[in-house]
Amino acid sequence: MALYKFDKSLALFERACKVIPGGIPGHTSPAFAVAGSYPYFAASGRGCRYKDVDGNEYIDFMAAYGPVVLGYNDPVVDAAAARQREAGSLFNHPTARSVELAERMVALVPGMGWAVFARNGSDVTSYAVQVAREHTQRRKILMIKGAYHGVQAWCRDGTGGLIPEDYEHVHAFAWNDATQAADLVGKHAGDVACIIVTPFHHPAFGDQVLPAPGFFADLRRICDEGGIALVLDDVRGGFRLSMHGSHAYFGFRPDLTCYCKAIANGYTLSACLGTDAYKGAASRVFFTGSYFGGAVEMAAALANLDELEKRGAVPHMMAMGTMLQKGLADLAAARGLQVAISGPPTIPYMRFANERNFRRMQRFSGEAARRGVILHPHHNWFLIAAHQEADIRLTLEVADKCFEIVKKEFGG
Amino acid sequence: MILAGGFWDASIGRLGRPADTRERVTANMHLYAVLPRVLDLARLDDAATGIARDMDVSIAFAVRGGPYVALDFKRGSGGARRTGLADVVLFFPSCRHLNRMFGGEKATPIPLWGLHRFRDLQRFTKLSDRLTQYLKPSDDDMADPCFRKRHVELSLLVGLAACREVADLDPRAQRVATALHDGTIQYSVGEEGPHVTAKVEHGTISVAPGRVPDPTTTIALRDLDFAVALIRGEVDTFAASGLGDIRLSGDLALADKFNHLFDRVGLYLK
Repeated sequence: MALYKFDKSLALFERACKVIPGGIPGHTSPAFAVAGSYPYFAASGRGCRYKDVDGNEYIDFMAAYGPVVLGYNDPVVDAAAARQREAGSLFNHPTARSVELAERMVALVPGMGWAVFARNGSDVTSYAVQVAREHTQRRKILMIKGAYHGVQAWCRDGTGGLIPEDYEHVHAFAWNDATQAADLVGKHAGDVACIIVTPFHHPAFGDQVLPAPGFFADLRRICDEGGIALVLDDVRGGFRLSMHGSHAYFGFRPDLTCYCKAIANGYTLSACLGTDAYKGAASRVFFTGSYFGGAVEMAAALANLDELEKRGAVPHMMAMGTMLQKGLADLAAARGLQVAISGPPTIPYMRFANERNFRRMQRFSGEAARRGVILHPHHNWFLIAAHQEADIRLTLEVADKCFEIVKKEFGG
Repeated sequence: MILAGGFWDASIGRLGRPADTRERVTANMHLYAVLPRVLDLARLDDAATGIARDMDVSIAFAVRGGPYVALDFKRGSGGARRTGLADVVLFFPSCRHLNRMFGGEKATPIPLWGLHRFRDLQRFTKLSDRLTQYLKPSDDDMADPCFRKRHVELSLLVGLAACREVADLDPRAQRVATALHDGTIQYSVGEEGPHVTAKVEHGTISVAPGRVPDPTTTIALRDLDFAVALIRGEVDTFAASGLGDIRLSGDLALADKFNHLFDRVGLYLK
């Protein structure tokens, strides 16, 4: 096959650099992928495939970094959104969709008694922290080292625009180490508002780690004993592990939980849900945004949640993810290569086991992109409900060629 | 004369006002990132090589409430250290005083010890003047390709060495530095270099000229002109990465963290 070229992507990027800082800011910056061997700009999509501005088509395993869960331009979700758009989306007041969606989510997610909606994951993780602080009247936030909870100042890592006071009351402990968490709670006795965690550890540039047996139970106990809120950042995992939230999948009970990516199949929506005990505090935190009431997005979310259930999307993605993981591991082994694949099958992360500098992975990923498959070199991947066995088989064919190239270049 | 670095570093824990921090970080950069480059200059520049070959002396810079460095010149070779004895000791009553001198203002050190080595001091002054020329070049200087290449190498060495100081002392960079993991980052300019390597080991950053085998991260700059623009702070590094003017490979997380440290250096060293 002819390898893909990215001339129009590059030309558009040159234009972008003149008017947009960095050309493409944030996590989709080419600097974080394989610049020059990866598309920069998308044009259209359908199902598990999309086209870039050069007309190259890809089988996608990034799903717009998670939000596309049923598939690009899913007809059922888009039709629901279109119907709402015809009626209108933003008004002086919320629409009935906000009540319907809150009711739907409260019924769907065990233990939760209320829901509020926003736009992005950062909106709701930061809101949840504020609710925890209001409820407890305390300052400290405990989070996992290397965890990502968004772009707000409290949870960033010292990069541009921050001052030390932004994270003065944020303290980190190691994933799966409840003893460290307990130590921090002891050190800041009476001042810890919340412990915020993801359902599994999913750092960029690193293996994903599932919760050790008893980890969440220990955190729950620490929180109960200390009057501390347990906040689940389920932005990445939500509705890809279980339709009832990742705490249902792993069997623990948070006080507040946050969703975003897979909630509305690409429509811009996020949600924070909480137990009844936190409802009073939630109502006292002023939380709003110009577009938080957008009814089109809520209509899309309602349709998306229905379709995820109707299509058995989670078990299907689990099966496709398992097929992908096993296929990649087998192909690599057949070529004498070692890969380490971590995380749940619906959100896998792969690296070459015998390297720490990602060069094999960057080569693998770049070659895959040039052959029509998007497999990010440093970030976890996302399964999409639209993936079918034929897509996985085609992906594995491409992967085998890429493994061959890696083997030839690096020798193992 | 005994001058232990620890004595001079005693105030690190007492940094308070932002202005104090700024002066201290800048002073550390001047002594630990800029000044040791006279030793690199002796490797790169023929005139400097000739001067250094005649020197067999250790010269210390000691700042009250601030950093201490001793430069050892051993007839063409040498090194920098943060503790220990020196033949000549130049004292500065404050970080601000030191910084003013490096900024070209009228601020001179107080010779505490070894003034009788005035010939070595004269030689050292010649070296430091030459270094200043390389680090703050005129347009005429930069028209010479050889000069430009040395300017780039010395500037990269200064910038990367200064990363250690922001990582240690700059409050915001400290947050980034806590997440730094061990590895080597090789900066290369074109095929012919210069090449400069920064190493992170147990949280401490060190720099050296040249390449290393199998670096953790490679940052390849398009050419000398581009490197000069980068050093002058005229480059949007994210845009440059996408355009191919900077080619990144390897552990990009390490590159990203170093980029944040590098950005902070420019706030202290102009």
